[in-house]
Amino acid sequence: MAGEKSEFAFSLRHISKRFGPVLALDDISLTVRRGSIHAVVGENGAGKTTLMRVLYGAISPDSGQIEIDGRAERIPNSAVAISKGVGMVSQHYAVIPELTNLQNLMLGSEPSRWVNPPALKSRAESLATKMSFQFDWDSPSSELSPAGAQKLEILKLLWRNSRILILDEPTAMLSPADGDALFASLITLVAGGATVVLVTHRIPEVMQFCERVTVLRGGKWIAEKTVNDLNPTQLASLIVGDGLPTVEVTTRSTEIQGVPALTATNVSIQGDRGNLAVEGASFELRAGEVVGIAGVDGSGQRELFQALLGVRVLKTGSISLGDTRAEALTSARRIASGLRIIPEDRHEEGVVNEWSLEENSILGLQRLPDFSLRGAIDLKSRRGWTERVADRFATKRGSTKQSMASLSGGNQQRFVVARALESGGTVLLAFQPTRGLDLAASARIFEAFRLATQEGRAVLLVSFDLDELLLHCDRILVMNRGRLTLATTKTREALGDLMVAA
Amino acid sequence: MNSPGELLLIALGLATPLIFAMLGGYASERGGVINIGLEGMMLSSACVSALVGVAHGPAWGLVAGVTAATALSLLHWLATQIYRIDQVISGMALNAIAAGATNFLNQKFASGASSVVFPELPYQVLAVISVAAVAVVATRTRFGLRLVAVGADPVKARLAGLNPVNIRLLAASATGLFTGLAGNYLVAETGVFTDNMTAGRGYIALAALILAGWRPVPGLIAALIFGFLNALSIKLQGQAVAGVVLPGEFWTSVPYLVTVLAMGGFMARNRTPAGLGKF
Amino acid sequence: MKWRLVALIAGCLVVLAIAVAVAGKSPAEALSTLLKGSFGTTMARTGTLQEMTPLLFAGIGVFLALRAGLFNIGIEGQFLLGAMTATYAGLRGPGGPFGILLAILAGAAAGALWALPAALIKAYRNGHEVITTIMLNNVAAAFTTWVVAGPGKAVEAGSPTSANLSPSLAIGHIDLGGVSVSYGLLGGFVLVGLVWWWLGRRVSGYEFRVTGANARAARAAGIDVSRNYLQAMLLSGAIGGLGGAIQVLAYEHRFYDSFSPGYGFDSLGVALLAGAQAWILIPAAGLFAVLAKGGTALDIFGVPKGITIMVLGMVILVVAAVRYRREATSE
Repeated sequence: MAGEKSEFAFSLRHISKRFGPVLALDDISLTVRRGSIHAVVGENGAGKTTLMRVLYGAISPDSGQIEIDGRAERIPNSAVAISKGVGMVSQHYAVIPELTNLQNLMLGSEPSRWVNPPALKSRAESLATKMSFQFDWDSPSSELSPAGAQKLEILKLLWRNSRILILDEPTAMLSPADGDALFASLITLVAGGATVVLVTHRIPEVMQFCERVTVLRGGKWIAEKTVNDLNPTQLASLIVGDGLPTVEVTTRSTEIQGVPALTATNVSIQGDRGNLAVEGASFELRAGEVVGIAGVDGSGQRELFQALLGVRVLKTGSISLGDTRAEALTSARRIASGLRIIPEDRHEEGVVNEWSLEENSILGLQRLPDFSLRGAIDLKSRRGWTERVADRFATKRGSTKQSMASLSGGNQQRFVVARALESGGTVLLAFQPTRGLDLAASARIFEAFRLATQEGRAVLLVSFDLDELLLHCDRILVMNRGRLTLATTKTREALGDLMVAA
Repeated sequence: MNSPGELLLIALGLATPLIFAMLGGYASERGGVINIGLEGMMLSSACVSALVGVAHGPAWGLVAGVTAATALSLLHWLATQIYRIDQVISGMALNAIAAGATNFLNQKFASGASSVVFPELPYQVLAVISVAAVAVVATRTRFGLRLVAVGADPVKARLAGLNPVNIRLLAASATGLFTGLAGNYLVAETGVFTDNMTAGRGYIALAALILAGWRPVPGLIAALIFGFLNALSIKLQGQAVAGVVLPGEFWTSVPYLVTVLAMGGFMARNRTPAGLGKF
Repeated sequence: MKWRLVALIAGCLVVLAIAVAVAGKSPAEALSTLLKGSFGTTMARTGTLQEMTPLLFAGIGVFLALRAGLFNIGIEGQFLLGAMTATYAGLRGPGGPFGILLAILAGAAAGALWALPAALIKAYRNGHEVITTIMLNNVAAAFTTWVVAGPGKAVEAGSPTSANLSPSLAIGHIDLGGVSVSYGLLGGFVLVGLVWWWLGRRVSGYEFRVTGANARAARAAGIDVSRNYLQAMLLSGAIGGLGGAIQVLAYEHRFYDSFSPGYGFDSLGVALLAGAQAWILIPAAGLFAVLAKGGTALDIFGVPKGITIMVLGMVILVVAAVRYRREATSE
C-alpha cells in the first residue's frame, strides 16, 4: 500500500454542521476522483460553500470524517489543510489589498524565515509564466481587478503545490470572457494531475467543463451524477427540486411613460482610492418601472447608490428626486422626500444586530410623520408596525422584542426588504435585495416590487445575477468601470458584452 | 543647557522612553490589537525596576521591569484575543490596575534608598537600533510579513493558513519588552519611583505612532520631534518669549498640547491598519 | 464562556487577597475597614454621598458619550474646567439662586468647550478621541493650577486657592436621619432620568444610539453621524463641567490646586457598569463612592489606597468581559 496513491483525491464522509438553529450540513458525503473536475451545485444556502470550508479547515464539522489521498485526516484549521495539499479560492477574494502581489502570493507559505525578494520573484515569475499570467510583483494588490485577484489566488495554490483546488463561485464576478480564460487554466492544471472542485450554481459551466456533479439542497445531499448522463433541464430540476412554480416574468412589454421619479445627470463620483468610481452617468427612473443595473461587482454600483442616498458626495453632475434638485439634500431629507433603500449588507448597514426587531423596524424611517410625533418616538404604533413588517414576507420570529441577530440571515433580509416596501415612498433603491434568499422568496420579493410600481413607485435595482435582471427589469442599464449604458437588447450575451467592453 | 548640541542630546534623552513605547505600540497595533495600555505597562516597569533594582541591583531591576511590563502586555492579549474584551476598555482597565498596583507596591516596599545609580546602559543608542531592528523585521522577515498581514485582515490571513492569535501573542511579548525598557529607562538614573511618573508618555508615544502612520522609522522621527519640543520647553522655561515670560505650567503642557494639535492637524487616516480591532 | 468569566473573577480575587496579605492584614479586616469607613457613621455616609456626587455626574457624562460610541476619558479635565469656571463666575457674578444658575451654566459651558477639540477631531478627522481627551486632562490640570496659583489666587491665602464663595451661592442639602444629602446629588438623579427619557423616547435620542451601535447603518438611515459625534462629546463635556460646578457650589465653595483626586477611571467604571440602562448609573456611582471613601480609611489602616484603584480596574475588566466583547464576524 505504501507509495500507492489512492484513486480518490479526497473523501468527505457523513459531514454534519449546525449553526445555532440552522442545520447547514446534514450528513453529506462527497468523494472526488483524482485528476477530475467535480462540480458541487445548489442554490444559495444549499451548503456548498460550508462543505468546502470544512475541507479547507475554515470550519470544523460536528461529525464526519475526512480522508485525503486515502488517509484519514483531521483538519482543524486552514494551515493544516494547506499542508495536506488543499487549496481554496473563496467567493470573496482572500487577497489582502494592502500587501503587494508578491507578498500575497507567498503569505503563509514563505520558504524561509527571511524574505529574499529576488529569489522569490523569480520563482513567482516562473509559476506565472506557466499559467500565462502576468503580474507586477511589487504593486499593491489593491490595484488588481477582480479577474486579476482571482488569478493571483490560483497562482497561490500553485505556489503551495496544492493538489486539490477548490474554487467557490469563481465566475461570479467575472465577465464571460475572463470566465472562459479561467476554465482554460483549470483544464491545464487538471491535465497536470491536480483535482478541481468547482462550487457553482451555474448550469452551463457544469455541463461544459465538469465530469461529475454533486447536488446539494437545503444542507442535504440530493444526488451525484455523471455530467454526460444529464441534460441541463434535468440538472436544474435536481437543483431546484419538485413542485416549485416556474418563475413569473414580471417585466412589462411596453415602455413606461410616467413622471421621472429619480434623475441623474452627468454624475461623476470619487471613489475611496482617489479614482473616479462613476464617470458621467446619466439615467432617468420613471414612476411605475423597475430598472436594473447590471455589471461586474466593483464597477461603481456601490458608489452610485451611496451618492443617490446622500452618503457620498458628487464630484460633478446633479440628481433630482421628482422635480426637486437633490444632490445638496441630506439623506434624511431625501428619505423624507420619498427615497427608500435596501442596503447591500444588512449587517453593516441595514440593521443594528443587537437590538430588537421593534427598534430596528423604524431604522431609516424614524423621522417620518408615521413614526414620530413632534420629535417623540411613537412607541404605541411601533409594535403594530413591526408585526406588519415581519408578516409581509413571513419573517419567522418569536416576538418583536427578540434581537435581530437571533433571526436567520434569510429572515433578516425579508425584514429589511419589507421595511423598505411597507413604508411608502416614491423611489426604492435595492442593492442585491434577494441576497441569501431561495428562489421562492426571491420571486415573492419581485412580485412585491411589481406591485409597488403599479402603485406608482419606482424601483432601481443592483444585482450581480443576470438572470434575475432579465426576468424582472423593464429596462437594464449596464455599469462598466464607472460608465453607465442602456442595454438595447436584453439578452445574456448583449449584457455580457457591455459589461466587458473596453 | 547652552549649546544646541546639548539641547539635542537632552531632546534625545527625553525622546528615548517615547521611542521604546512607540515600538511597543507598533508591535501591538501593526498586528491589529488596539493598545491604549502602553502607559500602564511603562508605569509598572518603572515601579518594579526601581524596587527590585534598589534591592538587588540594576541588572535584576531591568529584568524585573521588563517582566512586569510583559505580564501586563500578555494580560492585554489575553483580555482582547481570548476573552474578546473591547480593546480600548482593556487598555484603560490595565492602566487603572497598573496605577493602583504601583501605588500599592511603592508604598509597601520602597526603601527610601535613592542614591543607586544604574550603569550607563546606552539606552539612547539601543532605542535607535531597536527602531532599525523592528523595521528590518517588519519588511524582511516572515514574521514581519505575517504580522502586517494579520493587522491588515485577520480573516483573510486565516484563510492563508496563519494563526492571528498566536502571531499577536508573539507581538505582545515584544510590546512587553519595549515598554519594559521604556519604564526602566525612566528610573534608570535615580532608582526612585513616584506615583504616575510616566505622566502620559504612553499616550504621547501612541500619538507618535499614529502620526507616523504606524511605521517604525517615521515613528522615531515623531518621537524625536516630541522630545525636541519637550527639551525646548524646558530650556525656555522662565525665559521671555516674544516679550512675555510664560508660566511653568504652560511649558509642562507643551507636549500634551502639541499632541492634540498634531492629532487634529496631521492625522494620516488612510494608514490605519485595516484589521485594527478585528479578528 | 461562563467558566472563563469565573476564572477571571477568581483571578482578581486572588490578586486582591495576596495584596491585602502583603499589607499584613486579613481580607475580613480590610473589608470591614472599607465598609466602616464608608458606612459606619452618619458622617461616613454623608462623606460617601459627597464622593458619589462628582462620580455620578462624571459617570453620566461618560455614559452619554459611550452610547454614541465614544470614549470620553477627558471628563476629568472637563470637570476641572467646569469647577474653576463656576468658582470665578460665582465670585464675579451676583449671589442667590440666579447666581447659582449662572455659575452652573458657566461650568457646563466650560466643560463643553474643553471637549470641543476632541469633538471636532472625532467628527471631522475621526481620530482616536481617547488620546486627545487624555492629553487635555493633563493640560487642564496644568492650566487650572496656574490660574489658581497666579491670577486667580485669593489675596490672603497661603496656598493656591481661590477666595471663598459667598454663602448665598451654596447649594443646600436635606437631612435624612443625620445624613446630609445635597440637592446637587438629587439634581444628578434628575439628570439620569432626563438622559433615560431622551435616549429612549425621543427621535434624536434614538438617532444618537444608532450612531453608537452601528455608525454605517446610521448613515444609511439618514443620520448625520458627524453631528452626533460632535453632539455627544459636547454634551458629555458639558455634564462633566456641570459636575465640577456642582462640586464647588454644593461642597467645596472654592477652587484650589489639586481639586480633583482623579475621576478618569472611576467614571469609566460607572458608565460601563450602567451599560445600556441609565438608572444603573446611580448604584454604580454609589459603589465607587464606597470604594473611594473606604479607600481612604484603608490607607490609614495600612493598606495603600492603590488597592481600591486596582479593584476599580478589575471591575472594569470583568464588566467588559460580560458586556463589551467583540464577537468574530461569522459568514
